Amino acid sequence: MSMPKGFKAENGYATVSERGGYGYREIAEIMSENGFPMKHSAARNYFLQGMRKLASPLVEVYGLSLAEVERIALDPRFQESVADIIDEEGVGI
Amino acid sequence: MILDTYFDKVGERPLLSREEEVELAKAIENGDERARNRMIEANLRLAISIAKKFRDKGCSFEDLIQESNLGLIRAVDRFDWRKGFKFSTYAVWWIRQAVQAHVAGQSGAIKMPSSARAIMYKAQKFKEEYTSEFKCAPSAEEVAASVGIPLNTLRAIYKSGSHAVSLDRSISRDSSGGRTFAEVVGGVTDTDPGDELDKVSIRAMLVIALKKLTPREENIIRLRFGLQENKADHVNFPITKSMKKKIEARSSK
Repeated sequence: MSMPKGFKAENGYATVSERGGYGYREIAEIMSENGFPMKHSAARNYFLQGMRKLASPLVEVYGLSLAEVERIALDPRFQESVADIIDEEGVGI
Repeated sequence: MILDTYFDKVGERPLLSREEEVELAKAIENGDERARNRMIEANLRLAISIAKKFRDKGCSFEDLIQESNLGLIRAVDRFDWRKGFKFSTYAVWWIRQAVQAHVAGQSGAIKMPSSARAIMYKAQKFKEEYTSEFKCAPSAEEVAASVGIPLNTLRAIYKSGSHAVSLDRSISRDSSGGRTFAEVVGGVTDTDPGDELDKVSIRAMLVIALKKLTPREENIIRLRFGLQENKADHVNFPITKSMKKKIEARSSK
């Protein structure tokens, strides 16, 4: 039996390099230097956890199943929209 | 009114028998101008009946009759009585061709060259044959290949061949006022108000949800998308070791 060929995201991945964004390894490095030691996988998990939190209210409002939270959170179009909103609104930090 | 008078006058002309047609055709061959006129006048009814079939194609009826008559004259000049056909059988083709050429050239705001019209005709014919044979429509690439032109050219021809409608035209068929196309057709940049409302509400929801993120999550999301206000902010967005390595590798090339 052949080995699994890996996972391919349905809609590709959000563009981060054009925005001047960091890879998960670099994020882990910066966070570790700032007193939050973590590996790249933890950086990815925190990122996706944030995305899930943002996708949850949409699922409730549109009456979608909870399984949709994961799909929306992973969708690069959703991620880029979130980035645009943070950029424009300057929310939080 | 003028047309009615014309129709009445044309209706007064007697139709020709087969023998008369042959006699007149022989006389025309010998250069008899009166015979030619009689042949034309006796067949004006045929020209009108063919022109009538093209009335809904966007050209004035008077023009269609004129073009139809020109086709009739051409048929009279080329008719060969020796082949044994009735004149009307032969003339129908010339008249129809003249009217079709006029309709294709005049209808619509954009005049298409005859070569482009010929390509459209070929493409249409190919589509019909393909559909009847394979029970499905051919792809645009197949159509372009069948007529031997690039796909972009075919698309441009179809685009220019589409029927143009004035924005000032009334939407109702009887053109007795009412709204015009300009009032209801949206611009290219216009968006659906419903979509806009959805966008606003989604945005508001996301802004509220963003406030619920922990500082660590928000920090990581910002780092992930490089969302710093100041591009030179190397405190919150430092140059990492791996970035340094990449920059050094790039500069050493």
